Amino acid sequence: MAFEVVMPRLGWNMETGSLFEWLKQDGDRVEAGEILFTVESDKAIQEVEALESGILRIPPDTPPPGKPVPVGTLLAYLVTPGEELPFVAQAETAPAQKQTAATPSPTRAVPVTVPHMSERKRPAVSPRAARVASELGVDWTPLKGSGRTGRIVERDVRQAAAVTPATEETLPSGVRVSPVARRVAHELGVNLEQLAAQMPGKRIERADVEAAARKVVSAAPSAPRMPAPAATGDVVLPITQIRRITAERMVASAHNAASATLTTEADATELVRLRNQLTSDITQLVPSYSDLLTKLVAQALIEHPQVNARFMGESIVQSATVNIGIAVDTERGLLVPVVYDVQTKSLRQIAQESAAMIERARSGRLSPDDLHGGTFTITNLGMYEIDTFTPIINLPECAILGVGRIMPKQVVVDVEAERVAVRHMMFLSLTFDHRLVDGAPAAHFLQTIKHLIECPWRVLV
Amino acid sequence: MTDQLEMGLSREQLLALYRQMLVIRRCEEQLVKLYAAGKIYGGCHTYIGEEAVATGVCAHLRQDDVVFSTHRSHGHALAKGIPPHELIAELLGRVTGCSGGRGGSMHLFKPEIGFMGSSGIVGPSILLAAGGGYSSKLLKLARVSVAFFGDGAVNNGAFHEGINMATSWDLPVLFVCENNLYATEVPFDQVTKNPSVASRAQVYGLPGVEVDGNDVVAVYRAAGEAVRRARSGGGPTLLECKTYRTRTHAEGMRDAGYRTAEEIAAWKTRCPIKQLETRLSEGGAATRADLDQIEAEVKALVEEATTFALNSPLPDPSTVTDHVYSPM
Amino acid sequence: MREITFVEAAREGLTEEMARDPSVFVVGEGIGSRGGNFNTTVGLYDLYGPERLRDTPISERGFTTLCTGAAVTGARPVVDFMFIDFLTDAFGDMFNQMAKLQWMSNGRIKMPIVLRGCVGVFGSNAAHHSGNYFPFFLHIPGFHLVMPTTPADAKGLLKTAIRSDNPVLFLEHKGLLNVKGPVPEGEHLVPFGQAAVRREGKDVTVVGIAFMVIKALEAAGQLAQEGISVEVIDPRTLAPLDIDTILASVHKTGRLLVVDEDYAPCGVAAEIATQVMEQAFDDLDAPIQRLNGAFAPAPYSPVLAESVLPGTKQILQAVRDLLAE
Repeated sequence: MAFEVVMPRLGWNMETGSLFEWLKQDGDRVEAGEILFTVESDKAIQEVEALESGILRIPPDTPPPGKPVPVGTLLAYLVTPGEELPFVAQAETAPAQKQTAATPSPTRAVPVTVPHMSERKRPAVSPRAARVASELGVDWTPLKGSGRTGRIVERDVRQAAAVTPATEETLPSGVRVSPVARRVAHELGVNLEQLAAQMPGKRIERADVEAAARKVVSAAPSAPRMPAPAATGDVVLPITQIRRITAERMVASAHNAASATLTTEADATELVRLRNQLTSDITQLVPSYSDLLTKLVAQALIEHPQVNARFMGESIVQSATVNIGIAVDTERGLLVPVVYDVQTKSLRQIAQESAAMIERARSGRLSPDDLHGGTFTITNLGMYEIDTFTPIINLPECAILGVGRIMPKQVVVDVEAERVAVRHMMFLSLTFDHRLVDGAPAAHFLQTIKHLIECPWRVLV
Repeated sequence: MTDQLEMGLSREQLLALYRQMLVIRRCEEQLVKLYAAGKIYGGCHTYIGEEAVATGVCAHLRQDDVVFSTHRSHGHALAKGIPPHELIAELLGRVTGCSGGRGGSMHLFKPEIGFMGSSGIVGPSILLAAGGGYSSKLLKLARVSVAFFGDGAVNNGAFHEGINMATSWDLPVLFVCENNLYATEVPFDQVTKNPSVASRAQVYGLPGVEVDGNDVVAVYRAAGEAVRRARSGGGPTLLECKTYRTRTHAEGMRDAGYRTAEEIAAWKTRCPIKQLETRLSEGGAATRADLDQIEAEVKALVEEATTFALNSPLPDPSTVTDHVYSPM
Repeated sequence: MREITFVEAAREGLTEEMARDPSVFVVGEGIGSRGGNFNTTVGLYDLYGPERLRDTPISERGFTTLCTGAAVTGARPVVDFMFIDFLTDAFGDMFNQMAKLQWMSNGRIKMPIVLRGCVGVFGSNAAHHSGNYFPFFLHIPGFHLVMPTTPADAKGLLKTAIRSDNPVLFLEHKGLLNVKGPVPEGEHLVPFGQAAVRREGKDVTVVGIAFMVIKALEAAGQLAQEGISVEVIDPRTLAPLDIDTILASVHKTGRLLVVDEDYAPCGVAAEIATQVMEQAFDDLDAPIQRLNGAFAPAPYSPVLAESVLPGTKQILQAVRDLLAE
């Protein structure tokens, strides 16, 4: 059988070589071991010996000297005498078998470009915080991160959701709650796990939560588990729903809003006179100072829409209506019922509504709708002889007006003439969220209120 | 017939030695051709010219005796009992190879017959074989452990540490040094002052024997004595076989520049197979026909092995991480 | 339960295994009649003699590779290398022979060999007697590696190691050798790949390696008084590594600190951090922190030696910083 003479692999990396010179001629008798030809590879000219004995037969179409061919390419044959020349059959060149074993290629990590911190449009948030935020239906983008580098972390999200970690137990599997229902439940202090137990299998929606809250608010405050009594003499009280909600909302406000308080002293003499006039009409309900202020503040808010605003996702919404919450201290705690569309209502209407709501608040008959949707809050501590204070913003509102007592004082009424007079003075404390509105516009707004108090008839024009 | 008796071996034994050497030679020649055809990857270090050493030593070994070899291991593997088709298939990277295609030329394994592996690192075979001797002694097995290594290993720390420990503890080990005068291309006499490996034995306190590594009968005799000594509790032996590889260090590498063509030619005249052939036919122990028949059988064996190997499947890549660990 | 030292517990394990299996033998410098530099083999030479308690010449590469050969031919060697710094001479044959022969032979060769000895910066032993070096063995396929921190685990893990058919590095931190603890009598085996939660907590997860587990527990005790609840995890075996226990803890706490006295680059803390990042990214509330030894060889003067190690103080600060993140 003819022995195939092929381009040899002369070196571990050699892939191609070219025949340099045949050292035997076609037809020569060759002995195994004799040098048959030379090969030029990138290293040098190398001699190649015959591996078999026989007659050398070089096919006419063999690669010519100088032409690079792959290792294993057929160059010639060594045949035994008398053997047929195998040129007719297409010589099976044995190309170097490239065994491309389909080894599993390692997965390549996709490079992630991380925007430089300074280019960050959104605050940094930890992966865990983002996950918890989506689980609780919290929008984390407006939050302020408590992480050392300003990163929003899990505790920030949980506080924003107004649920302490202790109470935030993941609901049992199978309980489905709409994101809105979750939010309202947190606002109203409804325990979702208890509610779910009352309606197994049902997806809890906002209406379910509000119905549950009405029951909660109207029922006598349920006594949660009492902790064991402490030392003798200590008074141990349960934490009521209202206390809990108030605490959570106050903390959330302190934590998230950039609060600053402005104070000014308004000359309320004309306001007092106006109220005295209204008092003289005994057939009507007398508007309280709060009612008067509600009307005046609403006017100011119309003139300063950026204070009648709130964050909503990636935007700031300036409300078309003015809905003013009035802080009411009840036996059970602080409630803030809301008078809607103040800008459309007369003083009388406001007085009627507010009186009714205060009555309902004190008797525990407020509905969730009464407490929801305010765009501004007024809180009055004048009856306790308080002048100025730092009220806490009722999120998601932009600002809150704290009203102090009306005090007769001796004030300068004419600097030039060095004339003084006794006037009814009243301090106003405006806490505003510097995230939403800056100091100057807030001050301007407060000034507007002051002017309206000093000249209340302006609200008619 | 007196010649055979003088050599101390029977006709059968001599023909067996001849056949074994021929199997190695023809396998190696086949591998050379396959390498030249681009069918073998990586390194291929052939044993052509040294067949007498593996043959003479392994003729004394039982299946449970263990052998640890070096990078030039085809001869040891075949002589210990790895069949040609498993050797050739391994070098062709097939799953039917003795190492499942995982090892290639320098990492041949068949522990079932005591071939405990060849190593691409020079030196460890000496220490591993000493360890094989240690466990034989500990487990009270009449089992011999053999290390094959070249002149290149004798200046490695493994030689010193392994032979010292084996001698200190009387381990049943045979340390076989195939001194073929070159470590890759570095001549032995350029890296050591004392050209005699066997003479080092005296320093450690074990017997050191030097033989003509191209005389299979001499190797057979010396190895036999060493194996008997080890098996009977007499401790290790260092056997230096002076021999020569007539091909390049590894296939595809140059064979010029560090040795002369004349030197190669001179050693070819001392081919171990030809030498035995001459002695057999001159002594009348074998006729031309006997030898031709052996030749024909071996040729057929190697052809069959090659066909088997060429038709064997490749290993499955999904198994590549198997056997990193034994099950806990 | 009776309390014995770490060394006594390991020795009890070794004694039981040598009685159980006559193919188990120990090799090392001074482990024969002397009983070992760290008292690892006290009493065993009298029982079994030089063949099974073999004093070696100073040739770590030699006797470790000899034991490799013994392991593949039917015996079960225990290489008692004393200090891991000495074992470095054997790394070449450990990587190329010991780790690979099982794989190279397609599983037909077993490698039942244990390498046991001391690691760690302790007692001013300085640059050549204070090494850790263990990440090499987590990186190369073929090794198992265990680092017990309690006497009970020392006994249980050594017994499991000796019975394993794989090469096992059994590393004993010098600072733990005289620690006392409860150790069960008789057959007590600790499986590989099971971490231990040494202290439960909910604010932060701290994984400690070897002696650092002790330091982490000290820190956790102090932090508890500040109202910080620390969960301390002891992996016990680094290869195989029980990442699931660590992941479950991070799922709970969101914050992870790994404390390892060995160097930071490519160390086990880096490996754990990457695995946690890969598998629990959305559980992370803060970047993972590592506390490693200083990037320098071990110094001699005690003030220097202390300065290169993570101490309780550093762990306290690291936890506080991590919570502030």
